[in-house]
Amino acid sequence: MNAAGQNMNCEDYKDAIAADPSESFDGGTAHASACVSCSSYRDEMRALDDRIGRALSIAVPDLKLPDLAPIDEDSNVVNLPFGRKTRLNVPTWIGIAASFAIVAVIGARFIGEGGESLSLADEVIAHLDHERNSLRATLTPVSERSLSKVVSSNVAVLDGVGLITYARTCPINGRPVPHLVIQGENGPITLLLMPEEMVDRAIPLLGEGIEGIILPVGNGSIAIIGERGARLEEIEQRVLDSVRWDI
Amino acid sequence: MNSSNAHLERKRRFDSIVGVFHKDMYRYAAWLSRDPSIAEDVVQEALLRSWKSLDALREDAAAKPWLMTIVRRENARYFERKRLETVDIDDLTPAQAAMLVEEDDSQLTEIREAIYRLVDDYREPLVLQVLMGHSTREIAELMGIKPGAVLTRLHRARHKLKDVIDEAAQ
Repeated sequence: MNAAGQNMNCEDYKDAIAADPSESFDGGTAHASACVSCSSYRDEMRALDDRIGRALSIAVPDLKLPDLAPIDEDSNVVNLPFGRKTRLNVPTWIGIAASFAIVAVIGARFIGEGGESLSLADEVIAHLDHERNSLRATLTPVSERSLSKVVSSNVAVLDGVGLITYARTCPINGRPVPHLVIQGENGPITLLLMPEEMVDRAIPLLGEGIEGIILPVGNGSIAIIGERGARLEEIEQRVLDSVRWDI
Repeated sequence: MNSSNAHLERKRRFDSIVGVFHKDMYRYAAWLSRDPSIAEDVVQEALLRSWKSLDALREDAAAKPWLMTIVRRENARYFERKRLETVDIDDLTPAQAAMLVEEDDSQLTEIREAIYRLVDDYREPLVLQVLMGHSTREIAELMGIKPGAVLTRLHRARHKLKDVIDEAAQ
């Protein structure tokens, strides 16, 4: 029996084999080969799994593909965040342009009155639209090397934040900040870690098809943005628990 | 490449991916929703969404988890939209009942009913592990929970099913 096998007792083995009958956990094979009771229990679990597998394999109806319209990639198709593509006609464009102009005017007035928050929110929304390619549903994590390049030494992103699938340094308000994407239950979630952008309260964000929040964190803030309707509360807490900075 | 060729190329890629994973998509949807007719709707929505966002799939090797993520999301949307209530196994529609019955194999029907009765939190990781062959880490990522929680749920799910089988055997 090897060292890992010696460290595993029968109770541990039975717990592990009931969760993973393939016995892919460390020390499992060594333990079972030396324990008749556990190898018998493993065989029982594998037989159970065989029955479960057959039970789950229900009959599948013939594939009926829906009407798959050609995807137009012309310039009059706007890529919205999270990969959604919507054809916008000219009047809609004018409306959106007008909306941006109004927001810009209001933002300018707001800044004039001493409030930086609106400007920060606008910049975050605009940046997301600019970097929409980051929003991919994937299970491939970004490499540790890429992540460490993006996240500076005074910002700690702990494992609990979730699967990080994108990491890049991006300018927000003229300062380079880590732009991360994590995979949430309902799709990709953007995080902008802004240790030097102080806000005095949570600021809701609303854009075309997206919504989110800028949360105050110490002397800085974190923007968390998902698809419209995404449940962000749990992710907000997870992010707050996982991100630290010392500036 | 002109737009017609681009469409054909895109369609060819889509067909090859969906052809391989259609059954998994349907079975995952069926065990999530516990209703074959809802599963068909969910798969149709998932197919449309995956067609529209096919460019987001960088590598075909990642197609399976990508499609399962879309199915999971569409299922959640469906239930949110319809505000469906939990189904009681004693009050099934004919379609739901047909999903459970395996002719000439009462033991299979029995375990299928036991799986059907499992709470969603236990049933889903079991489907992903046993039927889809996902690793603990992949299941954790898909469900947004920690690997330890996945293992706990799988352990409890199997013990519940084992209890049902042992009880029936007595």
